[in-house]
Amino acid sequence: MYGRKNKSDQPLGCKECKQGLQEYLDGTLEKPESLRFFLHLRECTACQEEHDRLQGLFRMLESLPDHEVPADFDGAVLASVPYAAYQAMEPLRRDRVPVFLEEAFLPRFVRARVTRLVGLGVASVAMALALRGDGSVLLPVLIVTGLLPEIVVRLQGLGRRALETTRRAES
Amino acid sequence: MFDRHQDLKTIRRCKRGEEAAFAEILGRYRGAIYNLCYRMTRNSEDARDLGQEVFIKVFSLLDRFDENYAFSSWLFRIGTNHCIDHLRRNRLRFLSLDGGVGPDGEEYEFQLPDSGPGPDTVLQRKEALERLEEVISELPPHYKAITLLRHDQQLSYEEIAEILQLPLGTVKARIHRARNQIQQMLAARSYDI
Repeated sequence: MYGRKNKSDQPLGCKECKQGLQEYLDGTLEKPESLRFFLHLRECTACQEEHDRLQGLFRMLESLPDHEVPADFDGAVLASVPYAAYQAMEPLRRDRVPVFLEEAFLPRFVRARVTRLVGLGVASVAMALALRGDGSVLLPVLIVTGLLPEIVVRLQGLGRRALETTRRAES
Repeated sequence: MFDRHQDLKTIRRCKRGEEAAFAEILGRYRGAIYNLCYRMTRNSEDARDLGQEVFIKVFSLLDRFDENYAFSSWLFRIGTNHCIDHLRRNRLRFLSLDGGVGPDGEEYEFQLPDSGPGPDTVLQRKEALERLEEVISELPPHYKAITLLRHDQQLSYEEIAEILQLPLGTVKARIHRARNQIQQMLAARSYDI
């Protein structure tokens, strides 16, 4: 709200000081800006008095006495909690996994055993050719494409298992 | 001020229906919420009822709590809004030195200053705090809430912005105006704190 730029080398005026005094006391001003306030307040009695008044108010606001909570406060609250509903919901909540970890998130053909086996076969052949020194640029693409269905299915499974382990640890 | 990680662990226990976890949350926040309600209404019966209603509401809506945010922010948001709604329902009038319509679109009624003590009276600290509470209780609801969150709960501007779901600039502007209004109200009543 209160902000000036490229003025940090100029002395602060009383009007500016009054406008920005709350932010100075809040400690939200940048250091050079804060220094300008400090220097002005050291020199200006009127602004210093205003500063002291506001600081006094801040201190009072922060030391308002705590009122004692009535003894019967908790009873009505705790009696109204739907414990049974939470307990009944818990298994459903525990079994729930993020959408991307659900099997159905991947298309059926990607999950199909045939696709994964064919993919692994293609990747194996491509890797063998690459090791024999065949320099075709298609080989890396075939390797990656072939491995992809198996990798995503396994990563999804790992994610689900990690989630289950974490939940077991939490409970 | 509040331990976000600890809260999250307790909330997850609450969601499993553990009775002790609800009591833990209540023990951690009961004082803060009750005092917020008390200072908003300045009435101990209203504060008790409102505070209980806040916890009952929170405890019945735990499944809606977004764990990406601090539980304390969610709780204070519900508490603040509940108090503001209560004050509006009861159509209380609030002191404004300017009168007219405030920034929240709420009408204020001009009131003459109370016949408080003279300026020469030396007030004890306790009395001064009581008078300050009296003045705070007469602020418009949004100013009152923001003042209490900032000074009583000692929350940062960023936390208050999250609680009240307001832009940071609006929070700063409102708290500045609230403090100015408090100063003016104290001066109008010759309350020297």
